[in-house]
Amino acid sequence: MNMPMRRRQTRELRFLGCLALSGVLIALYLDQALRLTAHTGGGYRVIDTQAVTRRIESGELRDREAAWYRPSTPDETGGHPP
Amino acid sequence: MSTVTCELCPHACVIPEGAAGDCRVRVNLGGRLRATTYGRPSAIHVDPMEKKPLYHFHPGSSVFSLATAGCNLHCLNCQNWQLSQRGGEEMEEVYRADPAELVAAAQREGCRSLAYTYSDPIVWYEYVEDTAALAHAQGLTNVFVTAAYINRAPLRRLCRVLDATNADLKAFDDGFYRRVNGATLKPVLDALVTFREEGVWTELTNLVIPTLNDDLAMIRRMARWIVAELGADTPLHLSRFHPEYRMRNLPPTPTETLRTARSAAREAGLNYVYIGNVMGDEGNSTYCPRDGTLLIGRSGFVITHNALTAQGRCPTCDEPIPGVW
Ligand SMILES: [Zn+2]
Repeated sequence: MNMPMRRRQTRELRFLGCLALSGVLIALYLDQALRLTAHTGGGYRVIDTQAVTRRIESGELRDREAAWYRPSTPDETGGHPP
Repeated sequence: MSTVTCELCPHACVIPEGAAGDCRVRVNLGGRLRATTYGRPSAIHVDPMEKKPLYHFHPGSSVFSLATAGCNLHCLNCQNWQLSQRGGEEMEEVYRADPAELVAAAQREGCRSLAYTYSDPIVWYEYVEDTAALAHAQGLTNVFVTAAYINRAPLRRLCRVLDATNADLKAFDDGFYRRVNGATLKPVLDALVTFREEGVWTELTNLVIPTLNDDLAMIRRMARWIVAELGADTPLHLSRFHPEYRMRNLPPTPTETLRTARSAAREAGLNYVYIGNVMGDEGNSTYCPRDGTLLIGRSGFVITHNALTAQGRCPTCDEPIPGVW
């Protein structure tokens, strides 16, 4: 009497497992699709600063001062002093 | 930590020390923002003016064209992503060419103009400004090929040394700009008006992408805006999309779509609407808006026929054709 009951429970667990896996796969796919939307900037980019500095020292890049910038305000840096 | 805020483009990047702006090439080193690609182009070519595309500006002339790495947009269909979506430190090829060397090279190549193009020259602003000023002093003209995502004050200053622009109007839809280009529409429209106010000869390019921005009602709205804000004589290039970069899931634009869009834009009041990237189409050529006379025939980037008078008028009806001839 107990065996068929257990078998049914196993089957249900497997079904729930499949359901959960499908959910995870769908979420991964959606995440990928959303990432494909062009990134709207406004922040900054972490770059290989050492590579930039090395190239500036070798003359392949320049450290010419840019126009059109200013020190950030505490408002812009999230309350921390800039 | 000396964080700086860049005021060049509407992204308004807040950049901590050791990081770059969204464009990858404006880098905060020691609390000062550096234009790292100044004098360090990664692409230099001599192109026909028709390739920019500019159809009403010194037609048939050669233009000395250059670009550095970096861009403030991140279009999913970028044609030059190996150049635009990289920082200077990631480029294999970096040439050394200060403004004076560029102007001298342009003259040696027999070019009467320089074009700042391929990536978006907005992000190498200082290099453009210095080179363009020097080019003017030598009697050369300056062409700015851009997506026009720039703040008004920097653009106004730059316009003093610019003669012509081909600016993208990628769609007349803010959502499209956000999804496909990583930008917004309003600052682009403001920049286009600024070009007009500052007397820079302006032609527009609209890349028509199947299903994303080929809606005729939107194209009509865009054309009506151009007529009202920039003038009916503003040339509009409706350009064919090719699958590129991260947008390979869509087909090239059908020629019929471009022809229908061209008719819609002309009905909305634009006098000069062209079809780009379709070799040999009648939409490559310039016609008199008054009597339909073929003025400049083109096949691709090649001029096959030029009937414009020396004064830039229609030989049949003497209508003045706007442009820099
Ligand atoms: Zn005529």
